[in-house]
Amino acid sequence: MANTAEQETQATLDESATPILELADATIKFGGLTAVDSVSFTLNKGDLFGLIGPNGAGKTTVFNIITGVYKPTSGDILFNGRNIAGLKPEKVAQLGICRTFQNIRLFGSLSVLENVVVGGFLRKKTGLFSALALLPPAVNETTELRKKAMDLLEVMDLADVAQSRAADLPYGKQRRLEIARAMATGPDLILLDEPAAGMNPQEKEALATTVRRIRDDFDKTVLLIEHDMRFVMNLCERIVVLDHGVEISAGTPDIVRNDPKVIEAYLGEESE
Amino acid sequence: MIDLVTSGALAGLSLDPSTLPQQLVNGLLIGAIYALIALGYTMVYGVLRLINFAHGEVFMLGAYAALFVSYGFGYTADAGDIAGGTWTLLAIMLLVSMISCAIVGAVIEFFAYRPMRNQTRIAALITAIGVSLLIQYGGQLFLPAQPPPSISEKVLPADIRGSYDFNLISPDPQLESDLAAAKTAADAADSELEKMLTDTGQREFDLEPEHPLRAAKFETIGEVRSLSAEIENSSVSVTVPRGQAVMFGTVVLLMTLLWWLVMHTRTGRAMRAASHDFDSASLMGINVNRVVTITFIIGSALAGAGAMMNATFLRTPLTPFFGFMPGVKAFVAAVLGGIGNIPGAVLGGFVMGLAETLVVWAGYGQYKDAVAFVILIVILLFRPGGLLGSSKVEKV
Amino acid sequence: MNPAVEIQKPSLLKFWGSRVISAIAAIAFCAGIQSLGGPLADNEFLYRIIVLSGLYVTLAVSLNLINGITGQFSIGHAAFYQVGAYTAGYLTVRMFSTQQIGEVPWLILMCLVGAAAAAITGLIVGLPSLRLKGDYLAIVTLGFGEIIRIIAINIDEVGGAYGLSIVPKIQSPWLIWALAILCIAVCRNLLKTAHGLPFLAVREDEVASSAMGVSTTKIKVTAFVIGSSFAGAAGALLAHYEAFITPDMFKMEVSFIVLTMVVIGGTGSITGSTVAALALFLLPEWLRGLKEANGDALVVSAPQLLGATLAIIAYIALARRVRDHYHGKPIQKAGFQFGVAAASLVLFFLFKAVFAQIGGLAGHEGWEINSLRMAIFAAVLIVIMLLRPQGVFGHHEFSWAWLKSLFVKKKQEAS
Repeated sequence: MANTAEQETQATLDESATPILELADATIKFGGLTAVDSVSFTLNKGDLFGLIGPNGAGKTTVFNIITGVYKPTSGDILFNGRNIAGLKPEKVAQLGICRTFQNIRLFGSLSVLENVVVGGFLRKKTGLFSALALLPPAVNETTELRKKAMDLLEVMDLADVAQSRAADLPYGKQRRLEIARAMATGPDLILLDEPAAGMNPQEKEALATTVRRIRDDFDKTVLLIEHDMRFVMNLCERIVVLDHGVEISAGTPDIVRNDPKVIEAYLGEESE
Repeated sequence: MIDLVTSGALAGLSLDPSTLPQQLVNGLLIGAIYALIALGYTMVYGVLRLINFAHGEVFMLGAYAALFVSYGFGYTADAGDIAGGTWTLLAIMLLVSMISCAIVGAVIEFFAYRPMRNQTRIAALITAIGVSLLIQYGGQLFLPAQPPPSISEKVLPADIRGSYDFNLISPDPQLESDLAAAKTAADAADSELEKMLTDTGQREFDLEPEHPLRAAKFETIGEVRSLSAEIENSSVSVTVPRGQAVMFGTVVLLMTLLWWLVMHTRTGRAMRAASHDFDSASLMGINVNRVVTITFIIGSALAGAGAMMNATFLRTPLTPFFGFMPGVKAFVAAVLGGIGNIPGAVLGGFVMGLAETLVVWAGYGQYKDAVAFVILIVILLFRPGGLLGSSKVEKV
Repeated sequence: MNPAVEIQKPSLLKFWGSRVISAIAAIAFCAGIQSLGGPLADNEFLYRIIVLSGLYVTLAVSLNLINGITGQFSIGHAAFYQVGAYTAGYLTVRMFSTQQIGEVPWLILMCLVGAAAAAITGLIVGLPSLRLKGDYLAIVTLGFGEIIRIIAINIDEVGGAYGLSIVPKIQSPWLIWALAILCIAVCRNLLKTAHGLPFLAVREDEVASSAMGVSTTKIKVTAFVIGSSFAGAAGALLAHYEAFITPDMFKMEVSFIVLTMVVIGGTGSITGSTVAALALFLLPEWLRGLKEANGDALVVSAPQLLGATLAIIAYIALARRVRDHYHGKPIQKAGFQFGVAAASLVLFFLFKAVFAQIGGLAGHEGWEINSLRMAIFAAVLIVIMLLRPQGVFGHHEFSWAWLKSLFVKKKQEAS
């Protein structure tokens, strides 16, 4: 039910849009199981893009092949025009894609601040020797990185717990810290794997605001996986729906919401 | 005989095919002991994910238990003429060894490992190393070790002394009759010489080497020697001491019992459940503490059986430190087969025993202890889950 | 909640000032160790263990880098120690006499050579660590250690099982301690800068580390190379200090002891490794030196030994109960722990008195302390693990700020 105004904005977006990430027939098989089957979609710079689907649809696997955890069996993944399929995770991160994890993976016994500094560390300039000899360049860089990390924590509203152990944080703050850590790597594209999982409505509201700020104020492109339909429909401008590794629908929230295939996929899941 | 001793790189290499079958049998026999110890490692690791470093020391204590039983029945090192042992004695030694090991294992688990169960794995491992050192050095205070005692061979009943001999390839009958003839000739030459010596009152070494009778004796003896060597090289035979055959049978019996226990009893099912997922098992109403205790009891009892048989039939000299190396090798065997996997431990034990004897056979006896680790490293690099295990991929 | 932290660039004066002071303190300490040789000339044994404890500090702190900081479960550290010792020792035997070089410069050169040889070995051992984790890596490093030892036994060129005599004997106590201080400084500097964080991150979570752009491969291999090179340098110093090395000096037990130092000190804590290395190295040596009043070696009687064993078991049980089930103020808890210790001591005398009444035990001749020392070592190990599995220092480092925070926190909780 897209009205003309929406179609217009869509058209203008498309005109000025430069693709940042393109999946072209990305496929991955584990033994006999095809976890992701010829999935293709394109993210443009500045998109707020949602990836949804029932449990076991292959959403996290798509993240894993984008970020290099798995190598796709076939198909291309173009990031800023460069094929990154099969690169190592650290290489992908250095190129400018960073992610969070569905099952939070923080550096538990490090402090909140240190977690974020690890994220920023990949833009380091000084060498290891400088650090081992405690030379001024490494010391100054450390101060710089800590300052930048602190600024990020302010933005993410975590500054008051900067010195706490990451593992001691409450769940919602841990999720926010994961996003802060990913942001610290200075990515162009940030992948959020179920960022709202386990949050209460207020926390979700705050998270949605934060994600919009990441896109608007920090000029990042965001791709997120989420289970909460309302959250995704309100937040994302475009959505791809996966079921059993296959792309079943794509488009604006309105298109997706009313797509019979999507309804069937979700209802089918519920009736099981 | 294949002679490859031409290049420097292969110096020391001697591959004699006629001794290979014997070495393979020896490998299986020692491998059976490794397998028995490895079972204890693999079961404990399966349930607790703990390398029970003290397992080798439990093995050592089992051997001493068997030794003390044999002392109790009078089979001390300085016992003079004493009647051979009985089957009952062997059974008592085996049982005492198994029971004392089971008690020691359960005690160690209760006092040292149970309190560490929720701690980091490295802390638990350090505790295990501590227990191992404590038993070794504590044992040094109480256990006889100088000179290293070994169980008297007189404990064996009369019907399992001696050995089974198998001729795989019989020597040429022609050679054998030649040898018999040569032996007769040698005896004749020898007695002729003796007769001459007694007649003349001379002593043998006073004679010239060229003296015809003396030369004849040496010639005939030389003939016997070369024929014996030829027979040796052309025939292939395997000798298995009867006691070791009994040992092998017992090992197979114990393994079968274990298999039945693990696969077909409630306790076994609980053990498998706990080793699959310890926490879920406890949520499903399995008394995991009981399972762990039983695992230690069974594993240690198997080590005790291995220790008794190792000390009795292979007659290893005992010291408080002698359990360490077999312990480490058995652990390697368990990893080799896929740790946590019971058939894997058995396979690993046999592979380890065979590999060791093959290295000795090839003339590199001094690297016997290193080969275990070389195999281990190669296996882990190319098949990290072990031969029969499967490596788990971490889910992201 | 902690308040937001202000992050400031350290002032130039403070930065360089503290570094100069540290350097002077380190030099003074080394000079002090060196000059101790004079006053301790008649107590050669004491001086010797003071000097050699420096080697164990190096070993423990360098293993802590691999094991505690980077989280790679390596338990074959003696291998690197051995490679350093044999490489340097062999080169000295073959080449020293032909060189026009002073003894100490040569020794420093040999340290570098030993470190390089061990670093190469560390690289080789570190490579499997890219594929293996946890217990598997542990057992592979253990295996590597044994293989290297067995190879040394079988090379006649380096003396085989009998060992290698190193001529000339070059004893340089200050250099041994300088190496220990260097090792501590390097590890501490690493943790002081952001460069240390990727190492800690690899320990915490490899998958997340690589997603943050950390090359886990590079970090692990770097840790192995730095850690093993320090062990190699320590080996070179040992070889020249003792002037005689045998493969038996590098047995698995040595690796275990070093590992124990790291864990007891608190994995990841440099302070912990250092203190534990000193304590655990000195403990058996101190026990060995204990004497009766009449100058004979101390003899422990059977009632004493049994009494002590039972008292220790009682102590562990009680102390664990207090630790886990008593939720009072820290100061009261400490008081309880102290009481438990005192009660256990009373129990010991009680048990001893009871056992002394038993004829068979009282008649036993007892054991010289020397034969008991390794058993005591093992018992201490188990007791510490049962009572404080995170190690004495946990993850903490010694610093004035830490000491202050400890004090302040206690005050806050008490109020």
